[in-house]
Amino acid sequence: MSLTTPRRSRALTATLLALVLSVSTACGDDGPGTSASGSIKIGLLASLSGTYQAVGKEIRDGFELYLATHDGKLGGRKVDLVVADEGNGAATAVPAATKLLKQDRVVALTGIVGGGSVAGVYPLLNETKVPLVGSNGRPELKDVSRIWHTSYLSEEPGAAIAQHVRDNVKGSVYAIGPDYQGGWDELRGFTDAFAKVGGKLANPDGKTTFTPFPATTNFTPYFARIKASGAAAVYTFYAGSAAVDFVKQYAQSEIKDVPLYAAGFLTEGGVLNAQGEAARDIYSVLNYSPDLDNAENRAFVAAWKAKHDGSPTTYALASYDAAAVLDRAIGAAGSDPTPEAINAAIGQLGQIASPRGTWQFSTTTHSPVQKWYLRQVRQDGRALSNTVVGDLATVGR
Amino acid sequence: MVVAAGTNRIDPYLIPALDGVAYGLLVFVAASGLVFCFGVANILNLAHGLLYAIGGYTAAALLDGGWPSLALALAVGVLAAAAAGVLLAGLLTPVAAGNHLTQALLTFGVALAGGSLLVAGFGPDDPQVQVPAALDGSVVVAGHRYAAYRLVFIVVAAVIAAALYLMVRRTRAGMLVRAAVDDAEMVACLGVSPARIRAGVLAAAGALAGAAGVLGAPIIGPGTDTADTVLLLSLVVVVLGGLGSMAGTLLAALAIGEIQTLGVALLPSAAPFLLFAAMAVVLAVRARGLATRWGAT
Repeated sequence: MSLTTPRRSRALTATLLALVLSVSTACGDDGPGTSASGSIKIGLLASLSGTYQAVGKEIRDGFELYLATHDGKLGGRKVDLVVADEGNGAATAVPAATKLLKQDRVVALTGIVGGGSVAGVYPLLNETKVPLVGSNGRPELKDVSRIWHTSYLSEEPGAAIAQHVRDNVKGSVYAIGPDYQGGWDELRGFTDAFAKVGGKLANPDGKTTFTPFPATTNFTPYFARIKASGAAAVYTFYAGSAAVDFVKQYAQSEIKDVPLYAAGFLTEGGVLNAQGEAARDIYSVLNYSPDLDNAENRAFVAAWKAKHDGSPTTYALASYDAAAVLDRAIGAAGSDPTPEAINAAIGQLGQIASPRGTWQFSTTTHSPVQKWYLRQVRQDGRALSNTVVGDLATVGR
Repeated sequence: MVVAAGTNRIDPYLIPALDGVAYGLLVFVAASGLVFCFGVANILNLAHGLLYAIGGYTAAALLDGGWPSLALALAVGVLAAAAAGVLLAGLLTPVAAGNHLTQALLTFGVALAGGSLLVAGFGPDDPQVQVPAALDGSVVVAGHRYAAYRLVFIVVAAVIAAALYLMVRRTRAGMLVRAAVDDAEMVACLGVSPARIRAGVLAAAGALAGAAGVLGAPIIGPGTDTADTVLLLSLVVVVLGGLGSMAGTLLAALAIGEIQTLGVALLPSAAPFLLFAAMAVVLAVRARGLATRWGAT
């Protein structure tokens, strides 16, 4: 008895496995991503669980919103959207991407929250020759011939706001950020551009102060140093719960009257609700704001608000634009939209109309050449929201 | 600036030093339970951080910006963490006293399972804590702005520390505890069940951690890694302060607070490893910690 049960179940497992394999190869015979009925398979990989699930859900909802407002079609073909969970990073993202690329055989991949996840999935994309139209994380990559991003490069927010800070702050600026790759890139973008236009940092050694990440939850000692430096303004980048801690403690600190400039993520989306009054008057730079005045944005925001509470974020917008990019590329890829044909078509798109304003892919980095906006946290009806107060530089190479 | 050059040099470090006291007292209230457990009942409780996290999550769930909610959260948090402590004592009953490896494995398992339960119940995001509206601002201390809640917290935590000291020194329960440190067998001979002392000590440790969790939630907030952070800090307190004395525990906790705030303000580039460098120095100079026994205080 004790011997037969495992043996029988093993045989059963083997039979089931054989069945599953034969079914999946049978499906695979249709060719990558397209089926006889003319529908097309797109893979969306985003963090639906874990630390970044708020961002991941915005990315999924942004893409689905585009499909819902375009009859579920991209490039005139019915879309079969396969959603997979990226989890917290590459360890969970790679198996999920493997399933999308090798089992579901999608013609294009989109989404991906973390830069580390993109780096992990990158070899798979090269192996399967499927294009990625990413809508958030963008690490340093050697060859971007199949990689496209509708978001931004980490250096760009800081580079876009440097001139404005130089023109409007009378005195030196203190730069502070979290000690990891994203923080280094964001702050380097600002400090390089700021130095180029003749700005002076207030940091005692002339270099950005980096706080241990994610260990730092008490910013009081850093605020004391900022006070002692005599800085006329502060530039920073934090996201998630660190952004909430930073902003709440800043508002109660001795530098609460020193103007605070930041990359937009400091006050974007859910963290703004958690910060509440403490976030009032903070200036931030981002490539999108829900109150931008153009026809595409009015339609986008109205469609979003019909389905969700609150306004769309830059994450949802980037994913909505990824769908728009695929829509036009699949339409232009001809009667047989293979992954290769779609990838080639993305390179020929030129100007793309978007709720953020018109943008286009850079030919070298494959990320947007786009305009950045200066926003300030202000009262909007009953809630606080990021309100556009001006245009900043157009950034991208 | 009309300030003299001498004060000007100390001035920037005033607020970090004050904040170090707030942080240190929080670490003291949180860690004293662990020290108490280890020193008195000879139990190495690696689930101690979990007890703090229970208090933290209670605060996040119940606080709504009013005073009654603070009282309610404090009561619920202390009771829940104390109950968890008694539960731990029950689980530890079959384990021989002093068998630290088995205790560590058991309590560590409980900490992992409990941590997952908290995340399953309250979600993976760090919940926000709303302090009473009257304290949700800043006050001016010697010409500097400082968070009002933290200032009040310093007073409250100092009161808790004093009450703890008086309890250990002056009450019958405190005498039993001190007696148990000195000679557990003799206390057992006098007719006091070691199992009851153990349950009582773990409940008291839980109550202290729960109170620290509720009151300290705006400082070390509830989140997925709160339990680990608090356990780590508490273990550093044990290493620095030794097991025997309350003065040693207080001294070690205040030292940790100042290292984490004043130290970071003075030497920001060394911030990531300052705490452990200090620990290494203390161990190298004085292997038995900063002071000696609980009973001797």
